[in-house]
Amino acid sequence: MENLTAYIESGILELYALGDLTPEVRLQVEEMATQHPAIKAELNEIERSIEIYAENNAVEPPAHIRGIILNSVLTNFADDSTFDTGTSGNNAKIVGLPAGQTSSFYKYAFAASLALLIVSGIALVTLYNRLQQSSTQLAALQIDRQRFANRVNLMDEQLNIFRDASFKFLKLQGTAQAPSATVTIAWSPVKRKVLIDMGSLKMPANDKAHQYQLWALVGSKPIDLGVFDKNPESTNMKEMKSIASADAFAITLEPKGGSINPTMSEMMVIGKF
Amino acid sequence: MSRKQKISLSEDDLVQALRNREKIAIEALYDMYSSSLYGVISRIIIDTATAEDILQETFVKIWHSFSSYSTEKGRLFTWMVNIARNLSIDKIRSKDYKNQNKNHELENNVTFIDEQRNTVYKTELLGIKELVATLKPEQKAILDLVYFKGYTHMEAADKLGIPLGTIKTRLRMSIQQLRKYFN
Repeated sequence: MENLTAYIESGILELYALGDLTPEVRLQVEEMATQHPAIKAELNEIERSIEIYAENNAVEPPAHIRGIILNSVLTNFADDSTFDTGTSGNNAKIVGLPAGQTSSFYKYAFAASLALLIVSGIALVTLYNRLQQSSTQLAALQIDRQRFANRVNLMDEQLNIFRDASFKFLKLQGTAQAPSATVTIAWSPVKRKVLIDMGSLKMPANDKAHQYQLWALVGSKPIDLGVFDKNPESTNMKEMKSIASADAFAITLEPKGGSINPTMSEMMVIGKF
Repeated sequence: MSRKQKISLSEDDLVQALRNREKIAIEALYDMYSSSLYGVISRIIIDTATAEDILQETFVKIWHSFSSYSTEKGRLFTWMVNIARNLSIDKIRSKDYKNQNKNHELENNVTFIDEQRNTVYKTELLGIKELVATLKPEQKAILDLVYFKGYTHMEAADKLGIPLGTIKTRLRMSIQQLRKYFN
């Protein structure tokens, strides 16, 4: 009990009531107050007298701020009720304070707009890239389509050759120069057309300085029907110069561009009707 | 008074209503305590507009942090006045406020305020008013320094050139004096 009296008389409770203690010491005082009713009672008395001292020194705040303060306290209330300002007897109309909300609305709206702008920008760039890709692909496809169309036309023409009864097909056989060589040619005397079937062409590849030359033999006289290269990728019917009559066809290897007269020693294939 | 009747509740009812976050509680709180709190705030902060701001902040903070108050910790007013004092003291110690008010001598505030503003005289407190006048000047000086100007008792001891123990004793004596009168 003496300890309690000493504690009370130390003045610590007054400092507590005046808010002049560190948080740790405050907690100690609160602990003491809960344990000892005497301290609790003493503290209550001190607080009451300070409270009355404060009332005695009270200053009335300006009447108009009552409404302002109460509204600002209650802005977090779910309802939007407002308070009478109490400025006078009549009911001064208080308009709720949308200012804070409005400004925060615009803040969010601005942020949202900005985010939308960025997202739109990204989407636009992405779409533009896709569009570019699509255009490129479309161009490539058109080229492909054109190539296939050409090819189909070509094949049609070639197919017509086989359907055309006026065409004769002649297999030229290899000479001693190239025993395994074979070439098929199609010839229509009516249409004066000569074609070489490059797909079934079996001849040694020519070098860059030489080309094969096709000859028609009328009687024993050779007539130039044009030059060609051995191209392993070519499968079409290559049209040569036209001729109306021929007894035999032969192919020789000549210097690039062809010769006026065949080099008989370089004759690769020959075929007679 | 031109105002409509002020709302007044017992402290227990008030605390209960505040816990339930009833609107009437904050009105009652304002009507019962705003002038006492403003008395403290306006003695610490001389600038009227700033003092009004702090009064507002005080009520907002009381409302928001009411869950941290418990009756076991002491009287409601003690808790509230500490919020008001801390906000006020933080304000006058803040850099921008110091820059604004370099020319004011804060020490003169108490008498300045008392001359400038009408303090409220409540009939039930008339006796106390006399008492305050009879507080010994050195008791009143220390009490006002700590209570109304935000000095810690350590700073008050420094300022008055009095040992810490004496400060504590005088504080206690002045409050004892108040209690004697009150009872």
